[in-house]
Amino acid sequence: MFLALKEMQRAKLRFGLLAGAVGLLVFLILFQQALLGGLINQFIGALKNQSADVLVYSDQARKNLEGSIIPPDQLAQVATVEGVADAAPLGESTFTVTAGGEERDAVVFGYELGRPGAPTTLIEGRLPEQGGEAVASEKDRADGFDIGDVVQVQPDGVEITVVGVARDINYSVSPVLFVDFATFEAAKRTRNPDATTILPSVVAVQVASGSSPESVATAINDQVDGVEALTRQQAVDGSPGVSSVRSSFAIILGLFYLVVPLVTGLFFLIVTFQKASALTLLRAIGASSRTLVTSLLIQVVVVMLTGSVIAFGLYAGALQGVKNLGVRVEVQPVVITSLVVLVLALVTSAIAVRRVLRLDPLSATTGGGVHV
Amino acid sequence: MTVLDMRDIRKVYRSGDIDIVALDHATVQVDHGEIVALLGPSGSGKTTLLSIAGGLLTPTEGTVVVGGHDISEYNAKQLTEFRRENVGFVFQSVNLVPFLTAEENLLVVDELGGNKGGKAAKGRARSLLEELGLGHRVKNLPGQLSGGERQRVAIGRALFNNPKLVLFDEPTSALDTKIGEQVMELIRTEMKARDTAAIIVTHDTRMTHYADRTVHIVDGRLDAGTVTA
Repeated sequence: MFLALKEMQRAKLRFGLLAGAVGLLVFLILFQQALLGGLINQFIGALKNQSADVLVYSDQARKNLEGSIIPPDQLAQVATVEGVADAAPLGESTFTVTAGGEERDAVVFGYELGRPGAPTTLIEGRLPEQGGEAVASEKDRADGFDIGDVVQVQPDGVEITVVGVARDINYSVSPVLFVDFATFEAAKRTRNPDATTILPSVVAVQVASGSSPESVATAINDQVDGVEALTRQQAVDGSPGVSSVRSSFAIILGLFYLVVPLVTGLFFLIVTFQKASALTLLRAIGASSRTLVTSLLIQVVVVMLTGSVIAFGLYAGALQGVKNLGVRVEVQPVVITSLVVLVLALVTSAIAVRRVLRLDPLSATTGGGVHV
Repeated sequence: MTVLDMRDIRKVYRSGDIDIVALDHATVQVDHGEIVALLGPSGSGKTTLLSIAGGLLTPTEGTVVVGGHDISEYNAKQLTEFRRENVGFVFQSVNLVPFLTAEENLLVVDELGGNKGGKAAKGRARSLLEELGLGHRVKNLPGQLSGGERQRVAIGRALFNNPKLVLFDEPTSALDTKIGEQVMELIRTEMKARDTAAIIVTHDTRMTHYADRTVHIVDGRLDAGTVTA
């Protein structure tokens, strides 16, 4: 501890610059993770944050809500599968609406009140209790989707009053309204007055207590023809575009996770080379290898933790500027990311540790350092 | 009473198929408070002998007893502890840790021994540095000290743990004659004041009169020694 801290105290600029570089890199990781989370939420937040445990799609839809239609007989069959506590229609469609005095696109989800498919992240107001009421996506409050605002489906169709707002329920990067199924039907008829029957997009299933969503989804797939049942998480992961966005970000994040420990490992290797003669002297006068390795690892930990604190400050500041992307400051990803980069940095410092372990105290008699 | 007792020491290095004998049946004893100059040309085995006496190197044959410890068969870990507890070193060139002040270069010995450099240790470091004429330099880093001052700090560090034996490897080779003589005078004064045994490796005959006895080494062989002081 004494050696580690004294050295850092005497070389504040050098270690400060490294901590700053680590801070910037960790900040980029955190920011991109937040951006990815925000983007995914804007794509499929409505699916992720609704109450159905299992969603049953038409097997022709390829996990795309827009392309899925469930006829009444399939809905009835799903309801009879063992482990299904409740199976209700859930409709989804994009409409042109007037909100805040402007025409906009909005995605309307219609579910049967009190049954699966309701939004789960209500932060203000209440859930719809009758036709013509909606819970809207929080992010779009300022655009005419706040509590008390009236949204009208065009052309001159059903009017929907916002009675609650919920967090992270956007869909396809559009504003979302969760309404009762009858209102959803009315909205569909506004666009297509000749429609005879309005079919739900998927079946929203609540599993019975004691059953797992995975086993119920499997049972539905085995017993009902023409459908594809997915757990909520599978539906989220399988939504069009989600996996490609995730894999693109994964490559970028993977590179950052590689660069941070490499930078740290190389820095400590260079520092170890630079002070090889001092370390050899310490070995000669009785410092154990363990003492010197511990000292090195303490420095790695101090640098990485300082870098993480810098990163958190930058992250919190930067996210204030991009609130409209649906990103929020969360402590958990900061802690997890910091711990991951710390562990990786300790692993890459093994090269420097190896150098320390190879120091020959006899070299002190020649003024040398590392014996290669 | 004998502090260092080296008997029949051989050190052989293998280079390819050839054995290189660095020390050939070397025997030497050093008593409490005795200062022995080890004089010889380059490559004669001076530093090898010093390294074996200080536990930096193990002999191929022979026994080494320092302060009652037979270190001939010690492993690397035991030798590290032995060096920390029993021997002081002053090397030729790199002698101080560059990121530690003069005072901290002494306290590091205490730290390495698992102590926390408390008030007593600090007081001892300061008084030792004052004794060595460095009272005004305690907070200076090695880079801010002259060559002679650095060697004096190194002497302080070597004495900090009250070792039974201090080994000097060409302590004046990097200094000019005047400063070198001052450092040798200081070494003699400090060793005698503490009754500490010392071996001073040198190839400079002008420095041998500071020792009680001079032992010559040529091609790894020692002579019996000449009383010089």
